[in-house]
Amino acid sequence: MSPAPASENSDEFAETMTWAFHQPMMTTKIRRMVGSEYLVFFLSAVYFLVLTPFTPGFCSLENLENILSSLLPLFVVSVGQTFVLITGGIDLSVVSTIGLASISGAFVMSHAGWGLAGSIWATSAGVVVMVLVGVLLGVANGSAVAWLRMPAFIVTLTTMMFVSGLAIWLTQSRKIGGLPPGFVSIGKNIGLALPLTCLLGWLAHFILERCLMGRWIFAVGQNPKTALISGVPVRGVLVMTYVISGFCAACASIIYTGRLETGDPVLVQRILLDVVGATVIGGTSLYGGKGKILWTLSGVLFLTLIDNSLNLAGFSHFVIMMVKGLVILLAAVFDSIKSRWTQNETPPVEEPV
Amino acid sequence: MKSHLALFMASLLVLVAGVGCNPSGQVADKQMTIGVSFETLQTEFWVAALDAFKSELSRQNIKMLEAIADGDANRQLEQIRNFITRKVDGIIVVPKDSKTILPMIKTANNAGIPMVLFNRPPDPSEAKSVTIVADNYAITKATVEHMVQRARKIGGKFQAMILIGDLGDMNAIGRRDGFEDVMKQNTDAIEVVARIPTEWNQEKAQAGTVNALQAHPGINFIFASSDFLFPSVISALKSTSKYKKVGEPGHILLGGFDGDATAYQMLKEGYLDADGVQDVYFEAKTAIQAILDLRAGKNVPAQIQDPGFVIHQDNLQEMSPRMWGAQIKK
Repeated sequence: MSPAPASENSDEFAETMTWAFHQPMMTTKIRRMVGSEYLVFFLSAVYFLVLTPFTPGFCSLENLENILSSLLPLFVVSVGQTFVLITGGIDLSVVSTIGLASISGAFVMSHAGWGLAGSIWATSAGVVVMVLVGVLLGVANGSAVAWLRMPAFIVTLTTMMFVSGLAIWLTQSRKIGGLPPGFVSIGKNIGLALPLTCLLGWLAHFILERCLMGRWIFAVGQNPKTALISGVPVRGVLVMTYVISGFCAACASIIYTGRLETGDPVLVQRILLDVVGATVIGGTSLYGGKGKILWTLSGVLFLTLIDNSLNLAGFSHFVIMMVKGLVILLAAVFDSIKSRWTQNETPPVEEPV
Repeated sequence: MKSHLALFMASLLVLVAGVGCNPSGQVADKQMTIGVSFETLQTEFWVAALDAFKSELSRQNIKMLEAIADGDANRQLEQIRNFITRKVDGIIVVPKDSKTILPMIKTANNAGIPMVLFNRPPDPSEAKSVTIVADNYAITKATVEHMVQRARKIGGKFQAMILIGDLGDMNAIGRRDGFEDVMKQNTDAIEVVARIPTEWNQEKAQAGTVNALQAHPGINFIFASSDFLFPSVISALKSTSKYKKVGEPGHILLGGFDGDATAYQMLKEGYLDADGVQDVYFEAKTAIQAILDLRAGKNVPAQIQDPGFVIHQDNLQEMSPRMWGAQIKK
């Protein structure tokens, strides 16, 4: 963020100001500042520094580990959401996918399941089943959006209702415990979860920024018709983004399920707004065509910091909900203003290639 | 672009450097702090229980950190971790369920912080905790015994009905067993003609009661496994003009369990004969005492039972200050 040009004396300053009113220069500066890719990272750092003296334990090693362990699975789900949002869609079914994957995996691995418990195959079988659940739900969502041309909102909303109902019905709302320690450690041990999450984040970043697939995804998000004419397999790309979202939700489910050592049909039922919110706070547009994995990381970091600090400071859950809701609303308003700017004129910030 | 990156790196550095600045996060005062995490505040019972903790902790000059998990076990885990970060002296928790609480107990165990579970016991494991639960069986038994006494005073043969809770819930089983055991000892005076499975669902309770009253018009003794089923029972009784006050001709003996505000109102207006009450104030006091005892290295049993009490028309004045439902302003 380069500062506005400094003026030597007030005359010159007044001149500059008058000039700024006539030229779009000043607003461009402001736009460049707020449009910075790393704005949310700065905000997170400032937030952290400002709150540290007032929030006991906020800056302790122990708490940083807590922040990290809350951040990782949320980031994993949000990575998938980023892909879908870039195409101009939305995936509301991620939370129910997490629940269904959780009980499916736990069922396979636990004593209640296929007697795999204790064998070295239990963990891998559980993980495979969980990922499969996520991918299949992604295929279902994506197909409905791509071929039946249904709005993503209604497709994934109904998937959410159906799948969360299914998960509760299958288990009769009972939890499944007794998971193998190998599986549990994926979620519990940050030393394992962190590198795996980094790998997934890097892979997602690579697909979006460096691969043909990534360029297709952006093309579909910016203008599906133009993309189709230019030879982009629009339907395939759409299905792929939902599959990625389902896959990411399943991966997050592995971490969440491990952390709680329990297969739970209503696992993290309330984080949907956090997922969409974090992605939007990062700067990925609800209108499609714009988004980055790093942005999503910054959004997740910011939301997690707010949640953690208010929690530590002893605010009630309802206050935290209100604050988070407001922050997400601000981000959405900001997104809508930004998208209007970019519609009216050339983009204020040139993206380096 | 480069300056952005540089600034970002710089802020990251400050962030990392910050780790050393405040390593303990401990404030230097000697007041004890106890973290209280409730799974939900959705029913009056939990609100009353949280209030009981608030007033008891402030009476003992202990600071309370409050956290509501809003039905999310994952959030509860994060809240427990935050309590540990704040170096609380003890944790009291209403768990979401008996399984997801286990990793939380282990985390507290590792941090050496005593943990007391309120109202919901954990699944068996090596993790160490103390659970405070109401003695559902004994309280129900005492309540139903009081109802039988009244029935014997009135005389004649009684036809009884019970509304059973969700049998996946230990509390529901304890209450059913308490009822059935009293019935077994009094077969000469009472016969159970209807057992209605409600699965803790008000609609099922109402439909079941209506059907039972039709099939057995002679039913004159009803026990509801939870007070929250009373609105359903009352509406079924009213539709057959059988909702009468105690002492009026045609009054049906009514008993319940919990001690909520509806039950208190019914007692006051003279419709309810007896209600088994969970002594929330005793439970809160005991939970806090358990933490103090654990900190002092004393031996505390893994489960402490609240003997509760029965409130009825004859002891209403005396016992209502201890009935949590009577403290709720409607």
